[in-house]
Amino acid sequence: MMNQTTEKAVSAAQADVTDTIVNFKPAYITMGVMLVFYVGIRIYEQYFGWKAGLDSFAPEFQTYWMNLMWTELPLEFVAFCAIGGYLWKTRDRNIDAVAPREEMRRILTLIGWLAVYAFSVYWGASYFTEQDGTWHQTVIRDTDFTPSHILEFYLSYPIYIICGWGAFMYAHTRIPQFSKRISLAFLMFFAGPFMIFPNIGLNEWGHTFWFMEELFTAPLHWGFVFFGWFALAVFGVARQVLDRVIELSKEYEKDALAL
Amino acid sequence: MSASTESGLPAGKTWKSKEEFLGCVILTDWILLVILFAVLLGSFHIHYMLLAGDWDFWIDFKDRRMWPTVTPIVAMCFAAASQSFFWTRFRLPIGATTVVLALLIGEWINRYDNFWGWTFFPINLVFPSALIPMGFWLDIVLMISGSWLVTALLGGLGWGLLFYPINWPVLAQYHQATEIDGVLLTLADLIGFNYVRTGTPEYIRMVERGTLRTFGKDVVPVAAFFSGFISMLVYFLWWNVGKWFSTTKYLEIEEV
Repeated sequence: MMNQTTEKAVSAAQADVTDTIVNFKPAYITMGVMLVFYVGIRIYEQYFGWKAGLDSFAPEFQTYWMNLMWTELPLEFVAFCAIGGYLWKTRDRNIDAVAPREEMRRILTLIGWLAVYAFSVYWGASYFTEQDGTWHQTVIRDTDFTPSHILEFYLSYPIYIICGWGAFMYAHTRIPQFSKRISLAFLMFFAGPFMIFPNIGLNEWGHTFWFMEELFTAPLHWGFVFFGWFALAVFGVARQVLDRVIELSKEYEKDALAL
Repeated sequence: MSASTESGLPAGKTWKSKEEFLGCVILTDWILLVILFAVLLGSFHIHYMLLAGDWDFWIDFKDRRMWPTVTPIVAMCFAAASQSFFWTRFRLPIGATTVVLALLIGEWINRYDNFWGWTFFPINLVFPSALIPMGFWLDIVLMISGSWLVTALLGGLGWGLLFYPINWPVLAQYHQATEIDGVLLTLADLIGFNYVRTGTPEYIRMVERGTLRTFGKDVVPVAAFFSGFISMLVYFLWWNVGKWFSTTKYLEIEEV
């Protein structure tokens, strides 16, 4: 009798653990890994930017910079396909049967994805983009593939695109409200910043004609600005997520309002 | 893959208890705020650096005409959009302050770690413009008036007018006159000449010059007033941009 009671208690405790509704740990870990990675990248460029990044015709430039680019680009492409493919392959094929608690769990997981996306947007749009400005004011560019570009355009931008793609696909394949229709806000939130990457084509095409003495505010750069605005669609995404959280939590509405 | 819950709760129940709900909601609210902050930081920063960046990067661009004109106008876009979202949806009068704080955090990290840390420009050449009091102003006007129309008119004008005075305590020392080889120039100019920027030679520096000097000491008020005027118009436009990006519309899959 005693044993049975203990077993019941243990299994109830285990069920409680597996039934945790909030688990932001994967998001925290991903952001931690990203932070360590970018700090490492920053140390690399501090050293090899000056040591091997000044002359694109020098052999060491090929070794330390071009090889880095030819490594990162295929890896990013594979990661993009793998994340999208995995999320699609493991999609919920019976999405109408999602119970409210499970739906809430998935919404919270989506918030974790969005946190990772937001963190990667900071690194790409803020940190590495303005950093590029100071490099160009210091070293005369003799290639489109400068050290700062190799880390900005071809590393930090693809990384945020991958994170945004993952968030979008997670929502589309697992959360009922995002699976049957396409959220306009979510589409803009992902696709706008994504378009900054193809816009590099315009930017580099312009720069390729001549060594450009320029203001950082030169019109050639305004394509980045336009697509950057679309990140404001995070407003719509936040509203859609919160609206659904409220719907799923009707019974505690008064408690929430009393906070 | 089955989508049913494993919780064993009755179908339709989301939460096990009120405590679980409240704990989760509070944590999630904070995380959503951090998400908004980081996204606004990135988005605002790329907008600001590529539309007003040069005037914000360099002390010798911080003149009496272009800098106080361009910078507040460009900054107003995101302040208005952010207010539109936070005020309309949550009645939170924090939109403007939040975005300028986000921008300044991104900028200060960059100026220290990259402008100084990587390319060795001194901080007194590259510190960003102050914007926080303007954010306070815009949010306070919105909070007191409760009206985006009043905020556009009164807040927008004040936004432009405040910019130069709030930056003056830091800037004044660099506008001291100095003479080098018979040439009269400011200390800011001198610092600029000593730190050559390969992409932006002196002849494309866009600062006050030539006949503009006929305005004499009145350049700043004129520029600030003009900036305030355009900021009003920008506020109208970007309030609606913020509203538009807050859309909760869905598209049918066939439409995409």
